[in-house]
Amino acid sequence: MKKNYGPVYSLPLGLWITIFFIVPTCIIFIYSFLTKATYGGVQWQFSLEGYKALANTSFINVVWITVYISVISTFLTVLFAIPTAYYIARNKHKNQLLLLVIIPFWTNFLIRVYAWIAILGNNGFVNNILVKLGVIDTYIQFLYNQYAVILVIIYTYLPYAILPLYSSIEKFDFSLLEAARDLGATKAQAFFKVLLPNIKGGLATSILFTFIPALGSYVIPMLVGGKDSMMLGNIISRELTTTRNWPLASSISVVLTVITMIGVLLFLKLNKNNLESIKKLVVREKAGEESI
Amino acid sequence: MKKFLTFAFFVLAVLLVLTSCNKQPEKLYVYNWANYIPQEVVQSFEKEYNCDVVYDFYSSNEEMYAKLKAGGTGYDIIFPSADYAQIMINEDMLEKLDKAKVPNLSNIEQSSLMKMSYDINQQYCLPYMIGSTGLAVNTKYVKEYDHSWTIFERSDLKGKMSLLDDMRETLGAALKFLGYSVNTVKEAELEQAKQLVLKWKENILKFDGLSNAKNYANSEYYVIHGYGDSIFLELDEEMLKNTDYFIPKEGGTLWIDNMVMLKNSKHKELAYKFMNYIYEPKIYAQISDYVQLPSINIPAREFITVQPMYKEGELDNCELIMDLGKDIELYNKVWQEIRMQN
Repeated sequence: MKKNYGPVYSLPLGLWITIFFIVPTCIIFIYSFLTKATYGGVQWQFSLEGYKALANTSFINVVWITVYISVISTFLTVLFAIPTAYYIARNKHKNQLLLLVIIPFWTNFLIRVYAWIAILGNNGFVNNILVKLGVIDTYIQFLYNQYAVILVIIYTYLPYAILPLYSSIEKFDFSLLEAARDLGATKAQAFFKVLLPNIKGGLATSILFTFIPALGSYVIPMLVGGKDSMMLGNIISRELTTTRNWPLASSISVVLTVITMIGVLLFLKLNKNNLESIKKLVVREKAGEESI
Repeated sequence: MKKFLTFAFFVLAVLLVLTSCNKQPEKLYVYNWANYIPQEVVQSFEKEYNCDVVYDFYSSNEEMYAKLKAGGTGYDIIFPSADYAQIMINEDMLEKLDKAKVPNLSNIEQSSLMKMSYDINQQYCLPYMIGSTGLAVNTKYVKEYDHSWTIFERSDLKGKMSLLDDMRETLGAALKFLGYSVNTVKEAELEQAKQLVLKWKENILKFDGLSNAKNYANSEYYVIHGYGDSIFLELDEEMLKNTDYFIPKEGGTLWIDNMVMLKNSKHKELAYKFMNYIYEPKIYAQISDYVQLPSINIPAREFITVQPMYKEGELDNCELIMDLGKDIELYNKVWQEIRMQN
């Protein structure tokens, strides 16, 4: 009998996920139902205060801003990522271009955000050039608003969206596009009905890779956001440090996790039908190959 | 056999590394605000006492406290402000000091020690610096202005100003302007302060405690509310000439930063030496010159070469921020309403 080594092989990863992901999430979940201690930490006494404090309009407003910023930035990121990934996949110099996508990671993330401040500031690069060219008389206020937050989120997560799209587009059989065109599809139809369904997996990954971290943004709204750009991440950190309300910080984290999960599940469900049909297609193709 | 030899060699190597550690000079772990002590002072201390100072920075009391509370250990000396020093005393995190080991404490002026209402007789805390949070105005762009908090009501400076993202400081400023105590726990007074800050909020670009000094140096802001020492460090010659730093005439918040020793400190003797060293007149003068704050060390005043950014008399109108225990909830609530309202 063949021995099953599966559990043994997956043990390190399983342990890793249990210790550094499942256990902390459980701790946060438990803390959210405890009583706040005045000087930080928690008292071991059941309480719903952490959740009661969430039921006010200003908090719901922040949830709305967070979801709004994340959805818009994810949409735009993927919109920019598809043509880029397509171009790279069809280019002779694929590897060099992929390297260019990865290059930003060589610089620390925080420094790149500060670089945006230097570029878009009132005395920054862009404003100076525009003033010199006489396009504008005085500076334009680019920074410290929601648009700046969206811009920097797009900039930050674009590589994460391009890479999975690239890998699925690269595997795509481009002769299918020609076939579609031969059969009378317009360019747009060929793109939407043939290419897009076939790269659905990469598309889903890139959407999730952008949406999930965008929801948890903390540094970006803090540095380039303004009075109107407080996101959930910022409130969590405020509750944990300034107000020392750990149960509230935990309950907001739980809310964030739930929003993320709802987003992901909803998205996967919408995709399920398509994914299933692709799977069936693949199975059928394989079966066909074997019979030949 | 070969495997065993490799293993034995490895063990030997590890032991060698471990024992060589013991011969190294003693280490002192200091956790302090960023840019609060000149590097030369630390280096000369290391030389004089043949030790290594391991230096770590924080940018807010909250950050430091959250780290310690979440189990961060290993530090010997920390520099909390009055309200957090008070909390740490209450939470039994601090070592009771043996003042005989810090003879230079006699250099510190009595009137400053008197201000330390949270630790009378300095049982746990030794004062490091005393100062106030003020306003910096760029006189190149803002020609006429009052030395007053009312500058935040000027709509002609809309989008060119910032207030600290710190509820005690900003609400404290508003409370002081209204003639109340910065430690008030009266809801009606806090409500008035909230309305005032909401009015100021219309004219500021953002609540900024992280990059306000940098943005001021880039002329992004013309008026900022902030800590003088962190602002001045960012300014070049020209900006220094164009900057007027003052404490508004209505007064403001007073802060006292302290040197404290953690209860679980492992290098207490060396920590005492460090505290005493800081109080040496020449050394304290060097620090005072660096942060441009008035010296509370009397003999050190002879050695001061840099004009402090304000005179001590200006602090008379300022009030110390104290820990409010459970009543801090009142501030949390008001501040949350201010920050989350669009």
